[in-house]
Amino acid sequence: MSEVVLETEGLTKYYANTLAVDHLDLKIPRGCICGFLGRNGAGKTTAIKMMLGLLNPTAGRARIFGCDSQELTPAICQRVGYVTEGHRLYRWMSVDRLEKFQKAFFPKQWDDKFFAEMIEYFGLSKKQKVKHLSIGQRAQVSLALTLAPNPELLIMDDPTQGLDAAIRRQFLEGMIQLIMRQGRTVLFSSHILGDVERVADRIAVIDRGVLRASCSLEQFQKAVKKVRVSFTREVPTEIDIEGLLHCRKGDKEIELVLVGTDEKKIAEWTNRSKAQNYEIVGMNLEDQFIEFTASANHKHLFRWEQIK
Amino acid sequence: MRFIALFRKEFRECLPWLLLAGVGLLLIFGLFLQFRERSIYGYIFNLRPGSAIESYQLGRYSELSSIGIWLCVISIGLGLALGIRQFWYGFFTKTWGFEIHRSVSRGSILWVKILASMTTFVMSLGIIWTFIFLYCSRPGGLLIVPTLRIYIEGWIYIALGFVIYLGTALSGLTEARWYTTKIFGIAFAGLVLLAITFQWQIFHAFLFVTIGIVILLSQVIYKFLCREF
Repeated sequence: MSEVVLETEGLTKYYANTLAVDHLDLKIPRGCICGFLGRNGAGKTTAIKMMLGLLNPTAGRARIFGCDSQELTPAICQRVGYVTEGHRLYRWMSVDRLEKFQKAFFPKQWDDKFFAEMIEYFGLSKKQKVKHLSIGQRAQVSLALTLAPNPELLIMDDPTQGLDAAIRRQFLEGMIQLIMRQGRTVLFSSHILGDVERVADRIAVIDRGVLRASCSLEQFQKAVKKVRVSFTREVPTEIDIEGLLHCRKGDKEIELVLVGTDEKKIAEWTNRSKAQNYEIVGMNLEDQFIEFTASANHKHLFRWEQIK
Repeated sequence: MRFIALFRKEFRECLPWLLLAGVGLLLIFGLFLQFRERSIYGYIFNLRPGSAIESYQLGRYSELSSIGIWLCVISIGLGLALGIRQFWYGFFTKTWGFEIHRSVSRGSILWVKILASMTTFVMSLGIIWTFIFLYCSRPGGLLIVPTLRIYIEGWIYIALGFVIYLGTALSGLTEARWYTTKIFGIAFAGLVLLAITFQWQIFHAFLFVTIGIVILLSQVIYKFLCREF
């Protein structure tokens, strides 16, 4: 396995009596683009802030480049780019001044040409003040500022939040610029699944603070299935198929959402249940994510070990 | 390079307050020069050009003392403004994440903030106060020549503003509720202010300010290094 760049072990955070992150065990290998998925309030921002040492964990720990997040040295921080949620920058600064400010912290790494190209690509002027920029433009400046020092690890907290489709596309193209540089690792949280599908090769799904999946995007897409089963008689009352997430019953048809169940087991179950036939329904990542994290029907939480 | 960039950013954020406080103090001094004979000191000592001054009045009082009160008020205002700008504003604008994730230690970020605020105090109030004192001390400047004691009192007022700044910073950094420990910073600074207001001995005033600075500074350092952002 390649070198682990970011790692968490039993990372837990309580806010008073509220459990925000529950024993998060995550490993991000070098060179991967990991989409960190979760609904609003799932614990993504809290987890990311703990990884960066901005929040203190209640239990467990996080390590970046082998260094404990609570003791990140300036040298390690220099290797990590961080795009904050909402792209919060100093409102009074102009893009030019922000560039000078940011550059001072990366004197050897800063790529002037790359920054200028990014600003030009996004159609921005260096004289514009942050307070006069739209959220989309702020996101673009924020990305350019973070990418120009060529960080080895880029952590982005919901970077495409509040951006329209066109700006989002541009933003992702910018991100791809970094990804194309060899050996760069990206962790970005999002709940826009289309974005994740476009750029990520690995995903981690967090739901109510619990890491529910951490695997390659392909594995996840293979693992979460929707199966429509038809019966000639009434549908069985008990559904005892392995990996069942949801079950929606009709008169003579049921819809099962399964995780990690291979087709052989589905066929066995349909035979056992005397079903007429079954059909695997195609799902996109968004449907899979919604089904995977929906709270209404599922009986069990499926830990990532099951589908990794 | 990194520290200069940080300092420039901090100082630029303090600049409007520096100018406001400096111009405010100069404006009050201008009004004082205009109306000094009608001031309370003017009435008490019957100050008129050519009037005789009793010897006991010399050394302890001067018309300049009335400026000292205004210096104290401006210094407190400046302390509050800088404390809020540097330690509260980032929570409203949510820029702490961007600020803290830098290739410098948290301690350095804090010391640069404190250094920028000290520079602001010295430049806006300290230098102007010195100028006012020297201007009034020149022969024929005021009827009662200001003493060094009045000048030192001015610096104690400036230091008091710094105590208020640290108290505001501490309250801003404390995550608890207002009715619990969050109020401690400002309340403690308020106590130091009260202690100095009722203090006639200049050495005691100096002592209270120093103790206030040491206690609040140690708390601010502790909070800043441990706080979650």
